[in-house]
Amino acid sequence: MKRIAYSLVALIALTGALAYMAHASGRSDGEAEPIFGIKIPPGYRDWKLISVAHEEGNLNDLRALLGNDVAIKAYRNGNLPFPDGTIIARLAWSYVPSEENNKAFGRAQSFVAGPVTNVQFMVKDSKKYAATGGWGFAQFKDGKPDATAALKTCFPCHEPGKARDFVFTQYAP
Amino acid sequence: MRSFTFFLTAVATMAGLVILIAPDPGRADGQPAPFVTEIPHGYRDWRWISSAHEAGKLNSLGAVLGNDIAFNAWRDGKLPFPDGSIIAALHYRNVPSDENNKVFGQAQSFVPGLPTNVQFMVKDSTKYAATGGWGFGHFADGKPGDATFMKTCFPCHEKTTATDLVFTRYAP
Repeated sequence: MKRIAYSLVALIALTGALAYMAHASGRSDGEAEPIFGIKIPPGYRDWKLISVAHEEGNLNDLRALLGNDVAIKAYRNGNLPFPDGTIIARLAWSYVPSEENNKAFGRAQSFVAGPVTNVQFMVKDSKKYAATGGWGFAQFKDGKPDATAALKTCFPCHEPGKARDFVFTQYAP
Repeated sequence: MRSFTFFLTAVATMAGLVILIAPDPGRADGQPAPFVTEIPHGYRDWRWISSAHEAGKLNSLGAVLGNDIAFNAWRDGKLPFPDGSIIAALHYRNVPSDENNKVFGQAQSFVPGLPTNVQFMVKDSTKYAATGGWGFGHFADGKPGDATFMKTCFPCHEKTTATDLVFTRYAP
């Protein structure tokens, strides 16, 4: 009887360990972006809002900027440069008219988020990314890192924003 | 010393009881408020649901946030929204960003300008039974909208019964 109890405990422990391992590997299978080695930060969709924006022209998108706790705190306190550990997420969707809203308003005026275009991240690590102002840049589309040379264009464009630590977006109160 | 400590504890307990018993001054007349008259605490920390741009007269760039109850209901696709859901719509002037446009080399970038107002929808199916279970709130510079203005919320939201009177969809 005692032996059965032992085997049961062992079996449960083994199942638990296997389940844990499966879970852990499920977590780490995200591909890292090639230049800065950045993976999609877990839980970024739960971060707090920094601001929103709309880009016309070729981009034609509606976007939201979210920040992890380090980022939000720095923004609210006006702390510059952003401390190491800061991550800023830029989510973007196609900019599409909302027929439902327009019908309710009685005129065409309402634009909302359509299909997702991509998600970008800026990760602050002043040592690791010293060559690019302390920031690592990443872009993911459908969960896959952007493997093109496009990432090389990030820093040159952000560089004019040096006065605010290379970050364009300002906090919307 | 011990009796003094006991006395202090008793006073503190009494004070707590009195606060609990005292009627909420905003509800002293016993009538349910027809709309939301106080800004929900800590709403700027809530999670983000989606963004929108209203062209025309409104010329607004907005963000919609939800408290945990609202956010989870949205993400899990649960309708109707449960009691306790609060939705916040933060509105700003839609203004061009000269700084961004200079970097992009063309005029394309619009960002939030001055805040115009913050609006709320608070779900309480008993208190706000007459307006689909939702209490509506509108605050400009921290001041609530007047009764005439507030009467316009429900007739417009009523057009979206399929999504529990809520226009905004969750942006993944």
